[in-house]
Amino acid sequence: MTEPFEHLIRRTLTDLAEEAPIVHDQLSRAERRVRNRRRATVTVGAVSTLAAILIATPFAVAATGSDEPPPAVPSPAGPAAVPSPPVPTPSAPTAVPMESSPRGAEMPPGKTVGPPGVPGRPTGTPSPSSPPGVPGRPGDPVASPDPSSPPGVPGVPGPPAVKPSPSR
Amino acid sequence: MTWGVCICDNETGWWVDEDERARLAEFVGSRTPALMRVAYLLTGDRNAAEDLFQSALARTIPKWGTIRHTDPEGYLRVVMYREQVSWWRRLRRWRETPLDPADEPVGGDPSGGSDVRLAMRAALRHLPPTQRAVVVLRYYEDLPEARVAELLGCSVGTVRSRTHRAVKRLRDLLPDVDMLEVRR
Repeated sequence: MTEPFEHLIRRTLTDLAEEAPIVHDQLSRAERRVRNRRRATVTVGAVSTLAAILIATPFAVAATGSDEPPPAVPSPAGPAAVPSPPVPTPSAPTAVPMESSPRGAEMPPGKTVGPPGVPGRPTGTPSPSSPPGVPGRPGDPVASPDPSSPPGVPGVPGPPAVKPSPSR
Repeated sequence: MTWGVCICDNETGWWVDEDERARLAEFVGSRTPALMRVAYLLTGDRNAAEDLFQSALARTIPKWGTIRHTDPEGYLRVVMYREQVSWWRRLRRWRETPLDPADEPVGGDPSGGSDVRLAMRAALRHLPPTQRAVVVLRYYEDLPEARVAELLGCSVGTVRSRTHRAVKRLRDLLPDVDMLEVRR
């Protein structure tokens, strides 16, 4: 039963194959088809690449600036607190260099200036030919020296009052 | 080897020399009738057969440099078989116009004999592409199951099952074939 049926299939296919169309110049048509296919492939590739770039660019930009919220979106916690400037810590009184002391003594570096003392004697010495004048009134010392506050500049001793020599 | 003669133009991207171009043209010219018969059996339509052959040839031309020394006809046949059963090709063919009225089966032949083959031809049109390809390879090309499986890229069991289903389908489409055979 199977053999005659399969034989019938073979005969039918053989007869059908004899009716195949006769074609010419298939090579040039196939080459044209290859060219069109290549062109379509390149076009689709370019469009796909462009679409991928257009889609991925916003995500890439958003990913790079993810640390800070976008400027158009307000922060739910209100404006960010501005950091206060550093509070200066109380420190020791700074050393004030003394250019000249009435006694010519200099403070070593790093020592604080203590309360101004009594101004010393004027350094000027009267010449022996003239009697010494009456020393001038010393400058007022800085009142109430407070150890917690930085010391002030010691007062400048007043110039010595020199009376003209009677010999002149 | 002298490079410089292009088959199409620079857009295609492949170059062959004049000798290879001549060999390709000779191969296509000599094997086109046989390959067109197979294409016609696979498709059952003249226009579809020509389209199938051109499509397979278009896929073979870029590979010509690597297959020219081996078996270009076998490669072209494999491409044709697999192209026919391709899902994309079936989808494309589905949208095309139906068969030419000239290819429709004619009426019965009172002389007997040919009407059986006409009925079988009409029944072959109703086979799906995969079963039709198996039938052509098994009963027209007379290839063994292992070779058919190799060409179609499937297992031998798949070839057997497709063959069985194809024959069963043909029997279902030709219920009176036994009576026709007796009448002959």
